[in-house]
Amino acid sequence: MQIKKILILALFISSINSFALANFEAEEKFVSNFADNAISILSNDSLDASQKNIQFTELVMSSIDMNLISKFVLSKYWKLATDDQKKAYQVAFKQYFISSYANKLDQYSGEKVIIVSSNAAKKFVIVKSNIVRDGTDTLKIELDWRLLTRDGQTKIIDLSIEGISLIIAQREEFQSFLANNDNSLDALINKLNSINNKN
Amino acid sequence: MKSKLVLFLILVSFVVSGCASATKDQVVAESIVSQKVSDPIEPLNRAVFSFNTVFDKVAVRPVAILYRGILPEFVRNRIAYSLDNLSMPVTTINNILQFEFGKAGVSTARFVINSTIGILGFFDPASYFGLEADYEDFGQTLAVWGVPTGPYIVLPFLGPSTPRDFTGLLSTSLIDPTYQVGNSTNRDLFRSYRMGVGVVNFRSENIEIFDDLQNNSIDYYAAVRSFYNQSRNSQVSDNLEVSPSINQDNLFNEFEEFDLDDNYIGPDVSISYPE
Repeated sequence: MQIKKILILALFISSINSFALANFEAEEKFVSNFADNAISILSNDSLDASQKNIQFTELVMSSIDMNLISKFVLSKYWKLATDDQKKAYQVAFKQYFISSYANKLDQYSGEKVIIVSSNAAKKFVIVKSNIVRDGTDTLKIELDWRLLTRDGQTKIIDLSIEGISLIIAQREEFQSFLANNDNSLDALINKLNSINNKN
Repeated sequence: MKSKLVLFLILVSFVVSGCASATKDQVVAESIVSQKVSDPIEPLNRAVFSFNTVFDKVAVRPVAILYRGILPEFVRNRIAYSLDNLSMPVTTINNILQFEFGKAGVSTARFVINSTIGILGFFDPASYFGLEADYEDFGQTLAVWGVPTGPYIVLPFLGPSTPRDFTGLLSTSLIDPTYQVGNSTNRDLFRSYRMGVGVVNFRSENIEIFDDLQNNSIDYYAAVRSFYNQSRNSQVSDNLEVSPSINQDNLFNEFEEFDLDDNYIGPDVSISYPE
């Protein structure tokens, strides 16, 4: 009788444990697919630059919530913008964002993103992962992905490298640029376009 | 030597008084981590930052490129490990000053194992025994004691800092045991290796990242300021046992609640992007 009770208890505890581990399996899979695909596109030498760009753009647009991010980094200036400015900004920002992330992820070409764990943080799910530095087993770079599910669709809204959120940094950068340029959204759009044309 | 002793005693008295003020109170801890970036001397900071950028371009970056070009990856990884190992004793001291005695045991064990079995720290067998690296400096200890970070400052040559971190940096040379060992030649050797090679090693690991930032930033100064503050806050939140993503959670949550509300921000333009 006693043994039976212990067995039931043990079964119960182990089932709680496995629930906890499998919490955000779908999100973990989502991130690992995105990272693998991104790195494989960027490090695929059989593709030329424009093919890489097309494939990477497609991947980013299907996995990353560009709509949310483009507004988040503008913060209050989004509300002040005219409809024409909003459109011009979103077109410029999309191209800027994609080439900037292609550059950032390109550093990790040939490496493997290993998913470590996932947890809920307010409305978001954070998937923790790391990249092990080439030629070592223990020098790691921590990458945390923030995901949000809206209207039944899960998308990435931020990537944080060693505790540094790239989207929050982008937001502070935009706010600072606007503050130093008479709060002119047109100046920001021009700046984005000039960087886009350079690349 | 005597003045060092006096300074050390002052530090010790700091610790004792710190005991009274050291707190892991959640509200206080969160307020320390969530401080907004304050940059009251931005014009001056920008001027120093421009100077540092030029200095980096002509002196540090070329050396870092040379370093990465000449030394094979294997050697660079050994150097990275040995620099990590040499920062363990001062980590132990800071663990103790932060009343983290368990962590002090881990960092001590790491130093002992890696300095011996790990051949002077060039290898990292300690990680295989489950002793994961965790680095602490005196700036983080000050944060644990409740010292606020203060405004953002850019120091000539040294780069981004805050009064709290700069105080931490200055005190580190006093409390770091590896700076007290042996005769003055040894100490100088250690110091040059750790500071000089440390800087070059760090820079060589980030050549493309900095190039990309410099060439493609909307505001390079603001990007670096954000990186610095976020990075320090994330390290400190770890010390204060606050969720490392608390600032990010709050910002995104606030935005999701208010800014993404269509009534609040106006129409949700969905547009087809031209290819």
